[in-house]
Amino acid sequence: MIFRLPTIHSDKNGFENLGELAEAARPLYADRLELNFASCGFFDANMAAPLAAVLARVADKFNTIEVVSVPTQIERILRKNGFLTSYRYPPLDDENHTTVPFIRIQLAAAGRFADYLERHLRGKGIPRMSQGLGKVFKQSLFEVFQNSVTHSGTRLGVFCCGQFFPQLRRLDITIADAGVGIRTKVRQFLGTKISSIEAIRWALSDPNTTKTGEQPGGVGLKFMKDFVALNRGKIQISSRRGFYEFAAGQETFSTMDTDFRGTVVNLEVNTADTQSYVLESDLSPENIF
Amino acid sequence: MPDEISVRVLDIVGGALAVSADDGQAVYDKIAPLLREGKRVLVSFEGVNTIISAFLNAAIGQLYGEFPEEKIRELLLVEHMVPEDLALLKRVVDNSKRYFANRPAFDAAWKEEVGDDEE
Repeated sequence: MIFRLPTIHSDKNGFENLGELAEAARPLYADRLELNFASCGFFDANMAAPLAAVLARVADKFNTIEVVSVPTQIERILRKNGFLTSYRYPPLDDENHTTVPFIRIQLAAAGRFADYLERHLRGKGIPRMSQGLGKVFKQSLFEVFQNSVTHSGTRLGVFCCGQFFPQLRRLDITIADAGVGIRTKVRQFLGTKISSIEAIRWALSDPNTTKTGEQPGGVGLKFMKDFVALNRGKIQISSRRGFYEFAAGQETFSTMDTDFRGTVVNLEVNTADTQSYVLESDLSPENIF
Repeated sequence: MPDEISVRVLDIVGGALAVSADDGQAVYDKIAPLLREGKRVLVSFEGVNTIISAFLNAAIGQLYGEFPEEKIRELLLVEHMVPEDLALLKRVVDNSKRYFANRPAFDAAWKEEVGDDEE
């Protein structure tokens, strides 16, 4: 089949369009998908991560994928970040050092994520950040990654990609998986048929967690949200038919027209933020427990 | 054997990052037997610069499932944590106390998924 990919921005529409691709390709088995970019006017580089998650599901069913008719500007971006090299395009040097490359990390090799951040966050606005901000940003990314490892149940790995916008002083990092999605985990836990957006809302509320057994959970997402509120950054979460965005102190939950099978978290940090994240705290090791 | 044992996180996780639940479990596996023996345990985060909640949940939060709060308060101490990480640990500890106080309900709640359609 041929799928004509429309413009993909990092927003609800962009995730809906990727969901449409997933739905169209779902019946394919040992077949061929031609992903045709001729109608794609723009592609936000960080969206290579959720696109890769969709394509990984397609490829997992013994399908062949070909990426064709990529407009020059988009081709440059997606060769620079390495996404297109999986589809027989040659790599292209990132002379401006604004790319956070595309990577696929298997859950068994989760340690690679630390190397990835260490290598590719450097020079992406981080020097402008206070040391505290850089630390909290990295912590947030590790929290998101660990959530995928713990909750997604995926065999297909975790997909990461990002882009630095020096003029806007914004850095986007997107972490996607092709796992069960937040809705399934929350439904299993609550035993009720909760919608995708209600499941996302539940997961973001203190002290909820779908974790059971010996290890507690439910702190990571709230930690990240607190950070983004202080930083005046942005969080986007797309999972199944739910889309969530938190930016400029405003939360929006909306239902998507298509089903994105998996979970994507895009974290956008405001690198112009100069406030200190070093806490003045009365806490001492003696009054923690 | 001394009554206070120092457990150095860096030696267990092998680097400056304490960012996985598996590494947290490895730290828990060192701490828990010592607490069972009634030893005082000093957990040192010296040289560890990135710590996340998933690690702390496994390494320390999990202790509240086995030991009473009073015993943990009496026997466990942490050192070399910057205030931001102490604040995260406090959040994890408070969350863990709530989690284990409600644990029968949490575990009973695990059910089969009710359908895979949206509505």
